Amino acid sequence: MRERLIRVTGVFIVVVYGGLIGWLFASQPKTIAEAVGAVAAGVGAYAIDAQAFADGLAFFRRDQFVEARAAFARADPATRDARTQFYVAYSYYRQGWHRTHHDDELYRRGLEAVQHAIDLAPGGRLRVEDDNLQMHSADELKAELEAGVTTDASDFNPLRVFENRK
Amino acid sequence: MTAVREAVALPMMFLTVVATAAIRPGANGSIVPPSLASLVGSVALLALLVRSGTVAPAQLVNQRRSMLANLNGLSVLLTMFFASAQLLTALVPESGVPALVAWCVLVSLVMQAFAIAPDRTRLLRGLLVMFGAAFALKFIVLAAISAPAESRITRALQVLFEGITLGAVTQRATHPLEGYFAFGAGALYLIAIWLLPPASWRMIRVSQIELPASSVEVTRES
Repeated sequence: MRERLIRVTGVFIVVVYGGLIGWLFASQPKTIAEAVGAVAAGVGAYAIDAQAFADGLAFFRRDQFVEARAAFARADPATRDARTQFYVAYSYYRQGWHRTHHDDELYRRGLEAVQHAIDLAPGGRLRVEDDNLQMHSADELKAELEAGVTTDASDFNPLRVFENRK
Repeated sequence: MTAVREAVALPMMFLTVVATAAIRPGANGSIVPPSLASLVGSVALLALLVRSGTVAPAQLVNQRRSMLANLNGLSVLLTMFFASAQLLTALVPESGVPALVAWCVLVSLVMQAFAIAPDRTRLLRGLLVMFGAAFALKFIVLAAISAPAESRITRALQVLFEGITLGAVTQRATHPLEGYFAFGAGALYLIAIWLLPPASWRMIRVSQIELPASSVEVTRES
């Protein structure tokens, strides 16, 4: 009986431990915080730091985008919250937007962040109701960022200097 | 072999080797799965372990055992396979000429081992030397060449070296912890291999067999 219990325990350990390693290979967490956060999110126990998020939002509204991202990173260390990642992507958009040109590097980072936000959102649908923003859905933001990193005829239209930042 | 060792200790040790050897710590840390080449290398390594009598698969999985015991035996073999592949991925350089040379040497050593047909003890010694040499090459020699330079003279020498070798030798700069992880994984792997159930047969040299005098005589007459 004791031997049977040991053998069953062994199978259980192999399945759990092997599954954890397989999950690590698939999810590729970059830090221990990300790994722990992903596990917590998996069981519905993950929550962002509300104070840090509020700080990030305040910085974002004052166009202090680097500071805003630092606060958002503190609020969502495991990068598991879709709304926070949406704001991170939006900060890259606004920082990279210029009347005469766009910063491709910032736009690419924004694209990565918004794609990550879409992946995190249930069903891939993410909508943020914020009057300060002109794009409320992740799809709009993604399209805007994609348009920014591609070169086409509209890039040479002189009237684009009259466009406004969203 | 006890049930604890077979069902719990060995699979846990091999899975720990997989986890430890996969971690690439640092700012852009990642978890690297075993490469395809190392999976092939792991098959050859397993064949070598079986042939040398280091592990007897028939003692782990056979018809006389219960299904649960066979499941435990199978998990030992599977985890050993993945641990071998992961360790090879961790110890072989990642790119350029060093990767090519290391794989050529590794394949040669494995083929040589097949030709020599070593017994359990000799194979374990051989693996210790092989993994030790690969570790020293990657985490001591190549890491020293590829590490970020601290002074201008060192940086200048590195640039000169990269220019001469067309950048084919320099590797990704490794985090200091990575070497310790690889060392720990290698040591744990060898301990786990040593704990495997050996084959009941043993290879010995003919010259070491003490034949009775009468049988020697018979042989001579025939």
